[in-house]
Amino acid sequence: MYNLRRFILKHHFVILFILLEVISVLLLARSQNFHRNRMVNSTNDAVGKIYEWSSEVGNYFRLNSANKQLAEENAMLRKQLSIVYDTAAHIYDIDRGDTLYEYIPAQVVNNSTNQTNNYIIINKGAVDGIKRDMSVISSDGIVGVVTDVSRHYASIMSLLHSKSVVGVRIKESQELASLKWETNNYRYGMVEDIPTHIILKQGDTILTSSHSYIFPEDLMVGTVEEFYPTAIDALNKAKIRFATDFATLRHVYVIKDLYKPEIDSLKAKFKKDE
Amino acid sequence: MNKSILQIIRFIALVLFQVLVINHIRLGGYVHPYIYLIFIMLLPFSIPKWQLLVLGFVLGLTIDLFTGTPGLHAGATTLMAFCRPSIISLVSGTLKFDNIQEPNLSQLDGVWFFRYTLCMVLVHHFALFLLESFSFRLFGQVMLRILLSVPISIFLIMMILYIFKTDKKRE
Repeated sequence: MYNLRRFILKHHFVILFILLEVISVLLLARSQNFHRNRMVNSTNDAVGKIYEWSSEVGNYFRLNSANKQLAEENAMLRKQLSIVYDTAAHIYDIDRGDTLYEYIPAQVVNNSTNQTNNYIIINKGAVDGIKRDMSVISSDGIVGVVTDVSRHYASIMSLLHSKSVVGVRIKESQELASLKWETNNYRYGMVEDIPTHIILKQGDTILTSSHSYIFPEDLMVGTVEEFYPTAIDALNKAKIRFATDFATLRHVYVIKDLYKPEIDSLKAKFKKDE
Repeated sequence: MNKSILQIIRFIALVLFQVLVINHIRLGGYVHPYIYLIFIMLLPFSIPKWQLLVLGFVLGLTIDLFTGTPGLHAGATTLMAFCRPSIISLVSGTLKFDNIQEPNLSQLDGVWFFRYTLCMVLVHHFALFLLESFSFRLFGQVMLRILLSVPISIFLIMMILYIFKTDKKRE
């Protein structure tokens, strides 16, 4: 016992070092699986508050462009609404409020685009009805998925994350593929697993598919920038330009899927049957 | 001013400067400068080794809290703190610190400080970028990140230290 104590006292520097490194690596390994990082709350109210203060300063300088963007979005929504009214007003009662999704507007208080795994912090949290796994979009396209919620803030795993995979659909051919982010550029993503018979050209539109279970169907993802045909029998790849500009992201919407509990309970039932 | 209060202010200032300013500078996808390690660099020479490690861990974890990467900066900064005593004796050689309490540019020359910064930043960035990719799969990409980030970090750190030095003389 005396020897053990002497050993620890003599080598306390190395022992403490190894202990702290083991803790670090364990924390890191746990956070790699983004569905299991409940234990390490990466969003917390104090951090959110500091980011909010600092972003408020910058927001004054961006009011002009933010106004312009919101006005453009408004105009586009009005146009869509008029089409819906024309075609569907006499079939459905639109004012009944029988919607699939609810949109919660939020502001970005912190955002990064230059890391391997990028997260966005928004100023809405559990109090505002934000929950894990909700999808987040901007007026231009999809943004990411809520991974962590505190009382007044939430953190979002952006599409710019090495573990991000989104089920997408090619608008022209309706073929399914998956979207990843492997380049170092915040403007571009990589669509993988494109069936061999599909040839894409620059400017083709990529939308979300209903198979993603995270994003609603038919949301804008991006446009094809470059198509990479591979050898025979291999699946093709394409580089796409994200519709969302992650560098200037300010206003986002968190989508609340009103039927998600139903879908989830069905899925749970499948699992039980297996 | 009380020494420990100075350390606390330095800690807070460096963390905020790192997460609110430096992390938002976009210099292409490969350049990620980190300056918060100045805190560990400037701790007194006589600090107990275990305190060095604990402070490194706490500093890293604070940065992690802001960047949402638990364990990443903590691991890299702890390693750097662990290497600090060896690095100091490596870059100093026969140099003795008889009446110098902590690394500072007023009492130690710029060349010594540059070598010290270079070694500390290298250790930290190697550990950080390797831990970040969490594998040797993208080794080329990680090397490119290290190669491009290290000079920028050293430049920023030396710049901050020189600004700090003139402040000290005025006191």
